[in-house]
Amino acid sequence: MSELELAPATDETFHEKPDNQWLEMWRSLVANRAALVSLAFIGLLALIAVFGPYLVPYNPVETDMAHALKSPSAQHWFGTDQLGMDIFSRVIVGARVSLTVGILAVMIAMTVGVILGSIAGYVGGRVDTVIMRLMDIMLAIPSILLAITLMAALGKGIDKAVIAIGLVSIPEYARIVRSNTLSIKENDYVAAARIVGNSNARIIARHVLPNALSVIIVRTTLGMSSAILDLAALGFLGMGVQPPQAEWGDMLGRARGFIFQAPYTLFFPGMAITLTVLAFNLLGDGLRDAFDPKSRVK
Amino acid sequence: MKRYGWLPALGLALVLGTGLLLAGCNSGTTTTTAPAVGGSTTESTAPPETGGNAANDTFTYAQGADPRGLDPALVDDGESSKVISNIYEGLLKYAADSTKVEPSLAESWQVSPDGLSYTFKLKQGVKFQDGTDFNAEAVKFNIDRQIPPKATADMSYGPFVYGSVKDVVVVDPSTVTINLTQKNTAFLANLAMSLAAPIVSPKALTDGSNSVMENPVGTGPYKFVKWNKGENVVLVRNDDYWGEKAKTKNVIFRIIPDNSARVLALNAGEVDMIDGIDATVVNTITQGGNKLFEAPGMNVNYMAYNTTTEMFKTVEARTALSQAINVEELVQSLYQGYSEKATTILPTFVPGYDATVKQVGYDPAAAKAGLAKAGITKVHMIAYSNPRPYNAATGATLAAAIQGYLQKVGVEATIDTFDWTTYKEKVKAGDFDIGFYGWIGDNGDPDNFLNLLADKDPTMNIARWQDPKYIADIKAALAMPNGPERDAAYGAMEKYVAERAVWLPISHAKTLAGYRPNVSGFIYHVTGNVFLSQAVKQ
Repeated sequence: MSELELAPATDETFHEKPDNQWLEMWRSLVANRAALVSLAFIGLLALIAVFGPYLVPYNPVETDMAHALKSPSAQHWFGTDQLGMDIFSRVIVGARVSLTVGILAVMIAMTVGVILGSIAGYVGGRVDTVIMRLMDIMLAIPSILLAITLMAALGKGIDKAVIAIGLVSIPEYARIVRSNTLSIKENDYVAAARIVGNSNARIIARHVLPNALSVIIVRTTLGMSSAILDLAALGFLGMGVQPPQAEWGDMLGRARGFIFQAPYTLFFPGMAITLTVLAFNLLGDGLRDAFDPKSRVK
Repeated sequence: MKRYGWLPALGLALVLGTGLLLAGCNSGTTTTTAPAVGGSTTESTAPPETGGNAANDTFTYAQGADPRGLDPALVDDGESSKVISNIYEGLLKYAADSTKVEPSLAESWQVSPDGLSYTFKLKQGVKFQDGTDFNAEAVKFNIDRQIPPKATADMSYGPFVYGSVKDVVVVDPSTVTINLTQKNTAFLANLAMSLAAPIVSPKALTDGSNSVMENPVGTGPYKFVKWNKGENVVLVRNDDYWGEKAKTKNVIFRIIPDNSARVLALNAGEVDMIDGIDATVVNTITQGGNKLFEAPGMNVNYMAYNTTTEMFKTVEARTALSQAINVEELVQSLYQGYSEKATTILPTFVPGYDATVKQVGYDPAAAKAGLAKAGITKVHMIAYSNPRPYNAATGATLAAAIQGYLQKVGVEATIDTFDWTTYKEKVKAGDFDIGFYGWIGDNGDPDNFLNLLADKDPTMNIARWQDPKYIADIKAALAMPNGPERDAAYGAMEKYVAERAVWLPISHAKTLAGYRPNVSGFIYHVTGNVFLSQAVKQ
């Protein structure tokens, strides 16, 4: 039995030294100006999402028909919409909705996708074929179309939007994790772990996934941006939040008739979506570069 | 990365929008309030443009959707009706600026003392566009096909126009008598409508090789040429027309579904006239050097309580909720001056309109107390997601505005929004406390509006209100001859409904159209039809 107890310790030597790796990565990220600014913006957005609703100047869901469609001014920084609701307050409150939905949807997609992808990649054979063909079928349908169809079946509502957006992005995670698993499982340390009698589940959890972590992180970051965009698209089509709740895509959808008359009603929610999506994309790109030693910014 | 395709488009749209806003800052709105006959100032001096400049020989009118079809008996939509109005004629027509009936294919008419038979003297020598004669037989043929036993279920307006017809008797080739089963004062007004009433060539209807839905043949000033589905309907002047011949040789109805695209097409000079516009694009149209046609509209936009629910079966509950809503402020904000606040169901110019009718007034304190007493804290509203001719802001936005007012008096409202087709199904199903709807008048008769609240069909009477006295009054008033007595009867009914707060009338939308400055002579009628035979381009 003594060999078995020794095994995990020997196994560690096959990994890179973690401290060094993360530090180097961080340096590379900091050196990437765009990614750093994006990270700061996302941090700010997170703060807004947490504390914003307590600080807004107006009740974001209170109508004031006497002051409808007012241009941006000192009273209403971003102007007011068709029902006299303060656009600044609504954009701030919308940050919480978008980030929450983004995080939850990404968690659903990541959890399911990682499990399916690692099983498909590690087990292979018929299991792999079944799982991956299913993923291919999902990928064959444009994700936003699939999300709309799901919403039509599930009904309207932000909780359903989370489920719909989460489900449609599963295949992306599954494919990435599968392909990484395929290469990782050929490594000697996996073979060694198998020889010393580790269960498949343990090998996947302890040896395969930690080595695929970097790609998963990059994918989740980019996944956030597409989840936020999908939510905005669903909101734009009137399938997101229940009125009068504030959501960026929904605000954009309601304001689209005013593109000539009151463009600020579109501009600010549109800008919020654009900047947020851009920030997650740039951060994702930065992380990918940072994780990849070959393209690391020196 | 394919999914980010709409972001650049958005950016472009934002830049475009901002530019227009800036452009909008330096000039005031120049809105011409034209009479019902557009551009009448140039009418007398304008020589008829026949021949000569080819571009001036074609008048292009852009509308939002394809006609459903061109057989007046089989369609019920405004887009079809506009095209039909230029190809066909009925026995009677409306005056250019009101719903007063005038002779058209019938030169004169007589009503029997008991009000049950109408005898029409027809115009002689009129020919259909296929060369066949228009005569009493043709009239009989057209009405017979729309009344039992020949009528079919897809004839939407047949029952409305000819519902009271017993039979049609051909007296001689130019005289026809229509017998009714019951007195119906609106009958003459119905005969001037552009749906069901226009006379179609019997030969075209019996031919069988061609469907009139796609190959219309009437007696009107324009002949049908072709219809490219989703693109346009092309008409050409009927040179054998019995009346004053059309001034412009070709008329094209172009289909441009998107509102903004239609405005841009007008500003680019691609089209001469557009409809289906709202307050948000008025500035764009006038700043593009074009003119705005603006006239009161024969419609009503309203909120209705489902009177069969526990919540709103009492007058007190309905009144309390109505008191929470500031209709005046709401109409001003949502429609920006392009809808008038409704004080009653009838538009001001329809006979029977009573200025003394008062709806439930805005009184939030009383609303709070009344709603508390009635125990109302939550209401379920349903709304339609698209703009309607009587509500350019969409039902969903109107509902959201009302939701805001209710929030202020402590009532939480949920809104379920559906597209128009689904919405009508939901209205039929009846699972709602408050619904939104509207009505576009057909014939200018008060019965056409007020009968809605007596109708048994819940898609017409969405409040599902069934009041025996009101139903009896409606029946009686329909049989009364036109005049002050009939008007007073309708006035009393308007008061009766207002006191019971069955509906909260919101607004009457104005009729808006945009046209090129070189265009004149068109008739944009209060019924929503457009008559282009006298339209000219300079």
